[in-house]
Amino acid sequence: MPSGGDWILPTLLAVPAIGAALILATQRAGIARWIALLTLGAEFGLALVLWFGFDAHDPGWQFAVSLPWIRSWGIRLALGLDGIGLVLVLLTTFLMPLAVLGSWTSIRDKPASFYALLLVLTAGMLGVFVALDLFLFYVMWEVMLVPMYFIIGIWGGERRVYASIKFFVYTMMGSLLMLVAILYLGFHIGTPGRPPDFAIDNLMLYAATLSPATVRLLFVAFFLAFAIKVPMFPFHTWLPDAHVEAPTAGSVVLAGIMLKMGTFGFLRLAMPLFPSAALDPTFRAIILTLAVVGILYGALVALVQPDFKKLVAYSSVSHLGFVMLGLFALTVQSVQGAILVMVNHGISTGALFLLIGMIYERTHSRMISAYGGIARVVPLFAAALTFVALSSIGLPGTNGFVGEALVLIGAFRTEPFYVLAAAVGVIVAAAYLLWAIQRMLFDPLDKPSNAALLDLNWREIGLLTPLLVVIVWMGVYPAPVLDRTQVAAARFVGLVQRGAVGKTPRSARLLPGAPRR
Amino acid sequence: MTPGLVQHPLAGTAAEFVWALPLLPLLGFVVNGALALASSVRIGPDNPATDAHPAAVPDVAGPAPTDAEGAHPTDAAQAPPVVPARPAFRTLVTVIGPGVVALALALAVAIFVAMAGTSPTTPFVQTYFPWMWVGDLHINVAFQVDQLSMLMVLVITGIGTLIHLFSVGYMRDEPGYARYFAYLNLFVFFMLVLVLGANYPILFVGWEGVGLCSYLLIGFWYSETANADAGKKAFIVNRIGDYGLLMAMFLLFANLKTLDFVGVTAAAGDLVPGGVLVTTICLFLFLACTGKSAQIPLYVWLPDAMAGPTPVSALIHAATMVTAGVYLVARSALLFALAPVAGLTVCVIGGLTALFAASIALTQWDIKKVLAYSTVSQLGFMFVAVGCGAYVAGVFHLVAHAFFKALLFLGAGSVIYAMHDAYHAAHAHGDAQDMRNMGGLRRRMPWTWALMWVATLAIAGVPLFAGFFSKDEIMGTLFERARSSTLADAHWLGMPGGTILYALYGVLLVAVAMTAVYMTRLMIYTFHGVNRTGEAEAAALREAPWIMTGPLVVLGILSAVGGFLNVPTFFPLHGAPPELLAQWLDPVVGPAALRVTHGIPFVPDASTGVTLGVVAATISILGIVLTCVRLRTARPGADAVPGRAEPAYRRILSHKYYVDEAYDRVIVRPLIGLSRTVLWKGVDGMIDGAVNAVAWLGRAISRIGGMIQSGQVGTYAWVLVLGVLAVLGAFSLLHHA
Amino acid sequence: MTSYDLGVPLQLSAAMRPDLVLMAGATAVTVWSAWRPESASHQRRCGLASLVVVGATIAAVIVAWVGGASASPGIIAVDAFRWASDMVILIATGCTIALGIDYNAREGIVAGESHALVLFATSGMMLLAAARDMTIVFLGIELMSVSVYILTGLNRRSSKSAEAALKYFLLGAFSTGFLLYGIALLYGATGATDLSVIAARLAGPGMAPGTPLVLLAIPLLLVGFGFKVAAVPFHMWAPDVYEGAPTPITAFMAAGVKAGAFAVFLRVWIEVFPYMADGRGFYAYWHAAVWGLAVATMIFGNLLALTQRKIKRMLAYSSIAHAGYLLAAVVAGSTLGASAFLFYLLAYTLATMGAFAVVIAMGNVGEAHLDLDDYAGLWAVRPWLAVSMSICMLALLGFPIVGGLGFLAKWYVLQAALEGAAQPQVVLATVLVLTTVVSAGYYLRVIQIMFMRPRPSAPATTARAGMLTELVVASTVVLLLGFGLAPQWLVDRANASAPPTPHFARPLPPSFGGPR
Repeated sequence: MPSGGDWILPTLLAVPAIGAALILATQRAGIARWIALLTLGAEFGLALVLWFGFDAHDPGWQFAVSLPWIRSWGIRLALGLDGIGLVLVLLTTFLMPLAVLGSWTSIRDKPASFYALLLVLTAGMLGVFVALDLFLFYVMWEVMLVPMYFIIGIWGGERRVYASIKFFVYTMMGSLLMLVAILYLGFHIGTPGRPPDFAIDNLMLYAATLSPATVRLLFVAFFLAFAIKVPMFPFHTWLPDAHVEAPTAGSVVLAGIMLKMGTFGFLRLAMPLFPSAALDPTFRAIILTLAVVGILYGALVALVQPDFKKLVAYSSVSHLGFVMLGLFALTVQSVQGAILVMVNHGISTGALFLLIGMIYERTHSRMISAYGGIARVVPLFAAALTFVALSSIGLPGTNGFVGEALVLIGAFRTEPFYVLAAAVGVIVAAAYLLWAIQRMLFDPLDKPSNAALLDLNWREIGLLTPLLVVIVWMGVYPAPVLDRTQVAAARFVGLVQRGAVGKTPRSARLLPGAPRR
Repeated sequence: MTPGLVQHPLAGTAAEFVWALPLLPLLGFVVNGALALASSVRIGPDNPATDAHPAAVPDVAGPAPTDAEGAHPTDAAQAPPVVPARPAFRTLVTVIGPGVVALALALAVAIFVAMAGTSPTTPFVQTYFPWMWVGDLHINVAFQVDQLSMLMVLVITGIGTLIHLFSVGYMRDEPGYARYFAYLNLFVFFMLVLVLGANYPILFVGWEGVGLCSYLLIGFWYSETANADAGKKAFIVNRIGDYGLLMAMFLLFANLKTLDFVGVTAAAGDLVPGGVLVTTICLFLFLACTGKSAQIPLYVWLPDAMAGPTPVSALIHAATMVTAGVYLVARSALLFALAPVAGLTVCVIGGLTALFAASIALTQWDIKKVLAYSTVSQLGFMFVAVGCGAYVAGVFHLVAHAFFKALLFLGAGSVIYAMHDAYHAAHAHGDAQDMRNMGGLRRRMPWTWALMWVATLAIAGVPLFAGFFSKDEIMGTLFERARSSTLADAHWLGMPGGTILYALYGVLLVAVAMTAVYMTRLMIYTFHGVNRTGEAEAAALREAPWIMTGPLVVLGILSAVGGFLNVPTFFPLHGAPPELLAQWLDPVVGPAALRVTHGIPFVPDASTGVTLGVVAATISILGIVLTCVRLRTARPGADAVPGRAEPAYRRILSHKYYVDEAYDRVIVRPLIGLSRTVLWKGVDGMIDGAVNAVAWLGRAISRIGGMIQSGQVGTYAWVLVLGVLAVLGAFSLLHHA
Repeated sequence: MTSYDLGVPLQLSAAMRPDLVLMAGATAVTVWSAWRPESASHQRRCGLASLVVVGATIAAVIVAWVGGASASPGIIAVDAFRWASDMVILIATGCTIALGIDYNAREGIVAGESHALVLFATSGMMLLAAARDMTIVFLGIELMSVSVYILTGLNRRSSKSAEAALKYFLLGAFSTGFLLYGIALLYGATGATDLSVIAARLAGPGMAPGTPLVLLAIPLLLVGFGFKVAAVPFHMWAPDVYEGAPTPITAFMAAGVKAGAFAVFLRVWIEVFPYMADGRGFYAYWHAAVWGLAVATMIFGNLLALTQRKIKRMLAYSSIAHAGYLLAAVVAGSTLGASAFLFYLLAYTLATMGAFAVVIAMGNVGEAHLDLDDYAGLWAVRPWLAVSMSICMLALLGFPIVGGLGFLAKWYVLQAALEGAAQPQVVLATVLVLTTVVSAGYYLRVIQIMFMRPRPSAPATTARAGMLTELVVASTVVLLLGFGLAPQWLVDRANASAPPTPHFARPLPPSFGGPR
């Protein structure tokens, strides 16, 4: 691990908080968005430092820090990164500034508070990705909730209140059960007299000593928390409402980053902590089935959405299904594919929501039927939307393909029949998106009001360009990401497989992790 | 960096620059695309929410056409607001668009020469950078130069250049001129990637890429719902096929641990001949082919694809893209050779498609539709060939077909072009593609007439024309294979393979006859008889400019002599070197073919060959002659006179066996309905319902509790007492328990 | 490190120094308030004087606490648990008086003695925190209750206030009867009122596990305490009384009364029916009983709060729900449980005081503006008030960082609840978190109304709250957030302040899945 890098992660979490404080101090709209943009730009800079300082071959936590927090509860501010966290941190810091730019003119009401909340949200999300202490993880996990609740509830659409409450309660429901499980683990770890311990690595060792039944119960608790967040099939109904009602930035963050929390949770906690349960034949069959059902279900339902945002929301259910399939198929390819899909979905769906936000800002309608033939009026917008849609349906050469292909090709080795079904989703994906963009961009230009639409302006072009570039880059040359994630992915697979056999994962012992007291 | 062999004969030759082949068109795409946007975009104001400036509909997307070819330049005038007389950057685009393809052609020729000089026996693989390296999965961005891919490259760039040139004239005043060439270049790029890719994933990139371009070009005049629909349909139907290719790749990787062509060829030996695995792989591969190459059951998109500009139909939907399936089978020859059952399937599907499509072509009035179904039918021929292990024959027909079908389409294009001008000149509106509005065009456009006759004779298989040799080789080989081959020994659905192949031979004969008939019908209705366009219009009918006719001439020559690429050894034409193509392709497909023929090199027996040739030729000539006789005096459309019901068989044919309708009713609508009513409203409703029910329950309890909270102290006291009793009761239970 | 011999009157009074300071101050304030004719300014002055008294008492407590004095077993306890409880109680008292000053001024209540009454009530609570003898317990309960009865009826012009007072008095008396009966039975069984003696006798050889007298006494005591802490099903009085009483007094009841009652509740249980490894004693009985009480309280308290439309009623039910959470901490009956209890008590007191302070700041003459709808769009007009209220709500909801101490308190209680690792404990914890989800239903509604509803077109003018009120709001919020970020110090205090109990045996390895 590069020495002296340990200041970065704390800074990464502190900067947005400071930015938020600044904004609240200067309650001025014009300044607020600039502060937000600069702060998040700085965050991206820090993330780049991490990106290049990261040692792709070091299997341990990098840039790790561990400061005491609540001693007698055995809680520490333990931060660290592995390849997976790194990629997601980069994704987050990459999307957030764009989200700010996307809200630049569309947020008129109380912008200062809006951007402050956006910054707090950033801190929370980054915290989840870098936390090495389960308590800290949980705290960050919950902290994310509040700003998003306000963002949806205050700046959202017509049914925003319903959507925000639904979002909040669903997530809280799952996470509180996880809280009990976390406490149970951390409190009963180790011998009497020792204070509780919430360092993920130590818990991994400890969890391996629990009785199978206990492990199964704990896993279920974690599973619920993450499955709701992903969201997996039967727990998904909060998503469409939240996505649709949220303002552009909200949707972008929600789809682009927050949904990854769930799958990240499986990667970082649920599966490594409880491999025996995760690979328990019954559980596995159920989860894989749910994943595949989600893929098809999401795609088919997206097919018939009249509201473009809802369409994208359901497509997210479908895409995240691929991630779950990849994780539980548990081959190196499928897991790395899953990680890639997480990133790609963040970029493509984020871009889709940004684009929809742009057109919505012009017409105040999300309904596909409100458009038609506008490609003649707003060619740039049309080109961008088409391009992003293609990446979202996984056209080879764009990022979308690489991820899904890896997931499927990897999963096929262990779970061929699930893949057989899952791949059908790829067909339907083409159907719903192409049909949608046809009804929006092509066909006769029959709504006179649309004839006067304005094409993208420089700000919008500027914020889309990075996304489009990344779409191609990740599609043609994903190696930089794959290199950085491969060690972590391999370790993940190893941990789970070995753990599932009942042996204490040896490699877990080798992890540096948070120092024990 | 040439992995494997250190000193490949092609190393250091022009082949080193193979990367430039696709890069040139890509460059063209980038530049033209930029120009297209630059010419059409107006950057919006900083705050988009400010009220819109009174924008007239910009001139970006081409006019709203009145029919499939509506946006033909001359129609542009009728388009909604102002359309510039000349699209922006026209000269620049004109130079770049065809230019890059021509350069690619030049490079291709150079590489070809290099190859011809060295005649390497192994593919020349160029690896550029890792694409997907995960665990034991190593997928590189790599190109492979061998005889097969070179042949395809020559066809693509060669025909491509011609069609680009033709387009310069054809799309002359098209507002989307730059966009059109951008797409066309992009297509060439992907098509080259497809044939040059050194592994299945890279091939897949091209495979889906060409699908994308076809989507974009079919929907080029997207303001017309029909066109947009056709594009979408094409893409989705192709996706269904691509599913097969994906699965095949997964199976290959899961079992052979490699996806490189070289690797697969090497590892194919480990596969059990005729085993379930290899058969499944091949069937999945063929599923992909049915999509891309429009075979039963996925052919339905191709006829609709005619909504695109005619040069596009010529390049993509006749000469190159649709033949990708044939290329894929030839490329995977070794696998198919190991799976006779799969081979038989390919043959059967191909044969049926050939017949089926030809029969539909008999009754179509839209000149492009006839050609579309003819294409489907001809592709069927090719699949029969590659299916039964006659890879050379298949590829041979692929090349020949590329010549004459491109010619036919471009010819049709210039006819339609003329018709449009005519209608426009007369300010009339008519279907410029309906043969019932044509007739007697021979005198108006002699060049087109003559050249299209050449193509017709070629496709019909009249001796000495390209089609004759290629089709003849297919039939001949098929016959031989029926006699003895692994396929003949295998069984398909319980039927002996030999019988099936013989039957297929018969089927193809019928298809040949039909081909002759519908092509002749097309020629006669279009060029002969009296003109039905109308006096005013007729006056304005004239030959297209040379930029368009030129390519026709070249193609005409090729269609005439193309057959001599691969003259059978026994053919009594001295001086002509026999079986050029066969020798050329031998390093690639030879081993596979050998496997099919039990390792005995296939030497066509002269007597049989001649007999079969004569039979086929006779049939096609008869077909032409009889059709001429029957239709000499025919008044097309007369049989559509109201009152006289057309015979059932005609109705079925003219409705294409109602396949589209069936798909719509049986698959599309039910799926949509299911998704909307059951999955969305139903399932989501239920889940939300359940959640809300819980919430409601909580509130209900809450309300009831609220009622007890009546404000009456007495009640409170009683509740308190009840509580006490409850606790006491619990205690006594606890104690006695 | 002095150790008082409580037998010696002087030493006893020394051990009771803070209480004496308070009572003396209370008396002084009473006399002074009667000295001058009632007037708004005089009311204010008495209030400030009472604040001074509270300050003095706090000082005394701190001195005693830091002095770390201990005492021989006697009628009162001299231990950190007492001082910690006292601190919480005094914080509540301070806030109450501060709020009361502004509130009385606005409502035109000129009775300066109201503050004195608060002080007397407080002294009752402090007695409870100290009590180690059933007679003292009873004394404290009565001293506290009677004062609060009067305070409830303080607003003579409001009929609701009077009604509430009467209700509270009747039911209170009723329940006190049960308590007294319980004490009597216990005395009958053991012949002692001194907790330590009772404990010794109960644990002694003479005592059969299921002695009827004791089995009868336990539930009766339970009723008595359950009523004071408003645990379901003895909670019925709370909503009405909370709603009727003047808001500062409501806050006082929600925080102070609960604190005092709970303090003694916990001490009695822990000292009289301690957990014994060999299973003797009556731990199992009361454990089961309190467990049931906790579950019922958490479930119904939260459910009933869901549909409340008036803020004070909503907070009343919320306070019932929190009684449930506190009970969950008590259930464990362990050292950890006691520390968690103290910790939670502080967090809860701060949040509740903050919330009621906002209610007062929002209110208007004649207890106006107490519907939730009156808070619509508050954010637009008084952002900081709205933000503070949200923070208190999130704290009560138990949300990390933004809810400050609230989450840590819940976390601590969960730790205590899970310590046993036995099946019922895990169930308890699960019920706790699930009911927390329910509570989101009403806490979030307040936030949603304040932030996501438009301000009514003609907003009723709200008189700006007094300085003291705003001071309370600010200080509670700051404390919540500050301790939420850096709780270490508090945690240590809480850990150090658990009453000395025969230590709760460390749980066996977790085993609700059966042996591996």
